[in-house]
Amino acid sequence: MFDATLVLIVLVAIHLAGAVAVYLTRQESLLTRQLNGIFGIAGGVMALILALIGLQRNLPGSGSTVLLSLEGVMPFAPLEFTLDRLSSFFLLLIAVVGIPVSLYSIDYMREYVSHPDQPGAHAYNLGLFGVAYQIFILSMILVVLASTTFTFLFLWELMALASYFLVVFEHRHRDTQEAGTLYLIMTHLGFVALFIGFMLLSGPALVGNTTLSFSELRISALALPSTQRDIVFLLMFIGFGSKAGMIPFHVWLPQAHPAAPSPVSALMSGVMIKLGIYGLLRITLDLLGGGPGWWGGLILVVGGASALYGILYALVDHNLKRLLAYSSVENAGIILLASGAALVFWSAGNTALATLALVGALYHILNHGVFKSLLFMGAGAVLQSTHTLDMESLGGLIKRMPWTALFFLVGSVSIAALPPFNGFVGEWIILQSLLLSLALPSQGAHIFLTLGLGALALTGGLVAAAFVKAFGISFLALPRSAQADQATEAPRLMRWAMGINAVLCLLLGLLATLLLPALQGISRAYLGPDQPTVGLAISGLEVRTGTDFGSLSPLLLGILLALLALIALWGLRLAGINELTRRSMTWACGRFTLSPRMEYTATAFANPLKRIFAFLYQPVRALTIETPGASPHFAQDISYRNPVRLWFEEYLYGPVARGIVWLARRASLVQHGSLHLYLTYILSILVILLVLTRG
Amino acid sequence: MWDMIRKIRQVGILTEPLPPFPAEYTQQDPQVELVGGELQQRTRILLGRSLHIRQVDAGSDNAAELEIIALGNPYYDMERFGLHIVASPRHADCLMVTGPVTRNMALPLLRTYEATPDPKIVVAVGDAARDGGIFRGSYAIIGGVDQVVPVDLYIPGDPPTPLELLTGMLIALDRYRGKSSRRE
Repeated sequence: MFDATLVLIVLVAIHLAGAVAVYLTRQESLLTRQLNGIFGIAGGVMALILALIGLQRNLPGSGSTVLLSLEGVMPFAPLEFTLDRLSSFFLLLIAVVGIPVSLYSIDYMREYVSHPDQPGAHAYNLGLFGVAYQIFILSMILVVLASTTFTFLFLWELMALASYFLVVFEHRHRDTQEAGTLYLIMTHLGFVALFIGFMLLSGPALVGNTTLSFSELRISALALPSTQRDIVFLLMFIGFGSKAGMIPFHVWLPQAHPAAPSPVSALMSGVMIKLGIYGLLRITLDLLGGGPGWWGGLILVVGGASALYGILYALVDHNLKRLLAYSSVENAGIILLASGAALVFWSAGNTALATLALVGALYHILNHGVFKSLLFMGAGAVLQSTHTLDMESLGGLIKRMPWTALFFLVGSVSIAALPPFNGFVGEWIILQSLLLSLALPSQGAHIFLTLGLGALALTGGLVAAAFVKAFGISFLALPRSAQADQATEAPRLMRWAMGINAVLCLLLGLLATLLLPALQGISRAYLGPDQPTVGLAISGLEVRTGTDFGSLSPLLLGILLALLALIALWGLRLAGINELTRRSMTWACGRFTLSPRMEYTATAFANPLKRIFAFLYQPVRALTIETPGASPHFAQDISYRNPVRLWFEEYLYGPVARGIVWLARRASLVQHGSLHLYLTYILSILVILLVLTRG
Repeated sequence: MWDMIRKIRQVGILTEPLPPFPAEYTQQDPQVELVGGELQQRTRILLGRSLHIRQVDAGSDNAAELEIIALGNPYYDMERFGLHIVASPRHADCLMVTGPVTRNMALPLLRTYEATPDPKIVVAVGDAARDGGIFRGSYAIIGGVDQVVPVDLYIPGDPPTPLELLTGMLIALDRYRGKSSRRE
């Protein structure tokens, strides 16, 4: 139908032209935002076409023909791009998330145009935003197509830098600068690990070879000694894991996501962190071609821990976007858990279960991209309308922003994995693969997989609690502040963008059977055909796992749920609910008015769980009462804080950062910027050299 | 959790056995038993098990409250007849309103009435609740309870005795039957 190479060239041209065009327009105009959105959407459509081409042709898992090879763009190596199954899937993810987010950004970014009342107050350079945005999307698209080490690392770094500039877009806030710096440090630590990992992976092929294409790596990886393969795996795990937001490298996520503009948060959380998973899958499944069981075990354990840690901190965080960021840590954990399980199964030779787990992981990647970007867009709509993300000052938005509330609710239900939405199908498949793991012979694997199962189940429950809080406190009841009271519905394009994602959430849930065969094809291309039994069978509308183990037909389930709801409504009408209904004020112990101070707060909602998991949170209660006069009974100001302990920040990053500062202080004894001192050094070194070479 | 288990192990059981029960404690007031037994039977037939009462003090001098509280003491012990005082009008079948309705309590009383699910009965307890009683004519009161919400039954007396209250509740149950059948 379309020539893939041509589509790719058009795609690159669109984004580059977009970057130039947006930069050339007048900064404050509507045209800037429109151009940025339109070029983003056009590029997304091209990526979608490319993804569909890739998924339609039954491409091999690896080593398919080179799409595009650009010589001379970079000084010492050509840029090479290949389309294979895994990259087609991730292209699909980028397109599906990228298109609505670009649409959303058109109306959202007017936030940063200076207001006529106070010129320059909130104004930021939208032209530069457009350049970074276009390059960010382009680099994400190209990084999954990259088929040489150099191309991959170059684009990976480009993606990191473009996203850094997007994160620090609101550069006038000190928090944003700090978040950006933290992100930059973390992403570069990951990059160092990746760089060393790739160099070690190429082994002897490294000598005199700057291209290092993936097909060469596949061959050289086979010849590597197993210790070196293990080291390569660990380095890649750290490098890609830090991008995916797994613990203990997750620290940048809760900082960077709230700081970035909402479309950027949506893209970073929906797509960019998934590219960490892409890298990990590419390395383990494709380039290294599988490894010992402990690789998968390590991924599984770290994934399970990330899932629990992420959601537990999401539960006690009352900043809407930071909550979503922690929830991304949790979802990355779930995906890692499933990928790890797939590797464990694969190394045990059970490709049937490996396929099942990998299909679950891939489907959850797509689902999380859709609903998390929806939730971030919803949070952005709230932020634009109320200028706050603190849940304790939100509330009552369902009456003021009904569409946003509906879409946010759809996102919350999806992320809580409730049928008939998409999150349910993905997590169901992952759970099935873990439940079936008893088929493995090894006892050790049983323990890990069962623990993973428990972690996943507990996570599922906590996600529901966290999103009941996120939706209930922010959108229901009475507004807790004047800003929330004066909130207005999001602009049209933002509503459309959220609507598209909400519908996608439902469709991916109901029509999962249409997409799952493609994912199964991707998994089989890397893992090989199912053995000893069938892992996943899709027949018509039904998904079956194992041999007569579990079966699910999402569409029928959805229809059944809808029917049940209709029957319930009909039954209530029949019972004469309309005549019996009597409306009166909510019971407030007979008080004259209802005040938002009577409402359930986010803190109070999270408190029972905070107590249950007190061994983890180690909350510190700080109550200060200020009494200005002589009497202690007339308090002027009461402040109560109950912060939780951030283990990794406190015990890992804190000491490391302090150590570096300590070292830097020591170094500054000899190097503290004084020119006279440096001249003395030069002189003394000269004298020493002269003395030494006197003979 | 370990602290609790350690404490259980270290401290052991400290409660003492119950002394033998003196016979005079079980003597009963025949009138209370008669009215109470009838109440219990009717609540079982009418409501399945028990009647839940929300007491509203709409500006009372506490005389009627003392008598209502007396219903809960071991002598009358109304809970054995299936009468319960509950903490929220949301749980109540019956509102027991005392006192002349003061201006400040008029709206809360109305809110309480609105918050009570149908079918419900309103019992005005005491003379003050009927027409203001000794407070009648005061600038601070609105008047009887019926000035604010519809009343099904007045129990006169300043204050009525617990036995009168129990007897009144018998009649109130009859009124309740009328209401609940109208609904069906």
